[in-house]
Amino acid sequence: MARRVHPINIIDVARSPHRYFRRKYVWQWPVRIFHWVNAVAVTVLFSTGLYISHPILAPAGEPFNNFVMATVRQVHFIFAFIFLINFLWRIYWFWFGNNYARSGFPFFWRRSWWKDLFRQVGDYFSLKRGHVHLGHNALAGLSYTIFVIGLGWVQIFTGLALYSESNPGGFWSKLTGWVIPLLGGSMQTHMWHHLFAWGFIVFAILHVYIVFYDGQQYKNGLVTSMISGVKFYRNGDLENDKWLS
Amino acid sequence: MISLDYDETLQAAAGHQAEEIRERIMREHPGEYVLAVEGNAPTGDGGVYCTVAGRTFLDILKESAEGAKAIIAWGSCASDGCVQAASPNPTGAKPVHEIIHSHPIINVPGCPPIAEVMTGVLTYILTFDKLPELDRFGRPKMFYGQRIHDKCYRRSYFDAGQFVETWEDDGARKGWCLYKMGCRGPMTYNSCSTFKWNNGVSFPIGSGHGCIGCSENKFWDNGPFYTRLTNVPLPGVESTPDKIGKYAAVAAGVGVAAHAASYAANQGIKKAKKNRQTKKLLESDKEE
Repeated sequence: MARRVHPINIIDVARSPHRYFRRKYVWQWPVRIFHWVNAVAVTVLFSTGLYISHPILAPAGEPFNNFVMATVRQVHFIFAFIFLINFLWRIYWFWFGNNYARSGFPFFWRRSWWKDLFRQVGDYFSLKRGHVHLGHNALAGLSYTIFVIGLGWVQIFTGLALYSESNPGGFWSKLTGWVIPLLGGSMQTHMWHHLFAWGFIVFAILHVYIVFYDGQQYKNGLVTSMISGVKFYRNGDLENDKWLS
Repeated sequence: MISLDYDETLQAAAGHQAEEIRERIMREHPGEYVLAVEGNAPTGDGGVYCTVAGRTFLDILKESAEGAKAIIAWGSCASDGCVQAASPNPTGAKPVHEIIHSHPIINVPGCPPIAEVMTGVLTYILTFDKLPELDRFGRPKMFYGQRIHDKCYRRSYFDAGQFVETWEDDGARKGWCLYKMGCRGPMTYNSCSTFKWNNGVSFPIGSGHGCIGCSENKFWDNGPFYTRLTNVPLPGVESTPDKIGKYAAVAAGVGVAAHAASYAANQGIKKAKKNRQTKKLLESDKEE
């Protein structure tokens, strides 16, 4: 049988399957761009948001020389729209990307998802190497659903509602103004917007730690995969992603 | 012509005669009179917490509303519930629009509303014979279309980032923005910064105090008045959002650190075990 000779086939993988890695293109470029734009936007939004709620370092002189609060708010709004467009783009790519772009979805109606979730929690507590996933494991997927998608929607709606206050009856007011009476007024909306912003900090701490921990455990290029898009796998590693499809 | 026949401070009649006038207006001008309500009706226990002439306010309100052409809710009590409806609202006080659903209601909130705004609403109805354009919360757009903040004369200090920190600091003397002192101007829709009060003499911010947002719904429950962020309204939690956020972040950090430490310890134990084993092997080699 005429088989195409591929460089990887030159090494006898079959004889020593545990020693050799293969490459797999996991994170497509839209996913990677989403990730980094989101990281930058959330960082800028959180820091500008802290200033807006607790403005410090009052500039000296007359107000016509300074435009600090206005500039910070402008930056906050610009990055809010970047965050929003990026968010909508990722939702589009959820449907049109590869299977790994969907691997974070909580398939809570599937037994295999729950199994994977509990297995992952067990792996973290027992400090074992655990099971390699090329996509997201169920626990990671759940955390993204809660902290990125869930929090993202909350911040988008409360944020746009507050943004619309300067133009009642305008476009954003018609679209998201209902949020303010729903939450019991502008003060309450501010409070929830501010409180939920801290969720991104909690998420960032957990996310960054677990990425480096998993990268250390699996040694499969997990950390660099969000830049290159590529992860490495050995025989058996793909088994753990089977529940996805 | 405006005829204030049934108004407790301006009416000529008193007692039974006053009630008689109310009944006569309803009988003789059905569908023509404007019912302007001050205060709100307690609905708890059949409305017994407020009675007028031996009848509950709730009852009189419903009866008088039937033949009205329109209803104006004067002030925050009638528009939003204000202090009577503040948590925990023991008397079950409800603003007019939650009791009457059959008639157009104009909310004119404020505690109290500005006199020019009140007369302005009445004059509009009288002049054009129609109701003014209302916003999402039933307030006339012409008076409640902008926030205090949008026309505040201290707005330039807000944009510059110059804020009063304490009541006696230099910023307070220079008239800097009162945002950090809890001013509700940025979320309060009213005409105070346009009309001002008492024939344009001043208004709260002009007198060096922040706006408390008295024309906004539930302003009593959005305390403390002197901070920008309200407390988190969860049962048993009397804390600011920043405090809760910091605790959550610290908890996450401690969890992560504990996990990292136990992982490192685990790796260390494994390594030590391995070292001991090799040592043993080497020693047994020597003995042989």
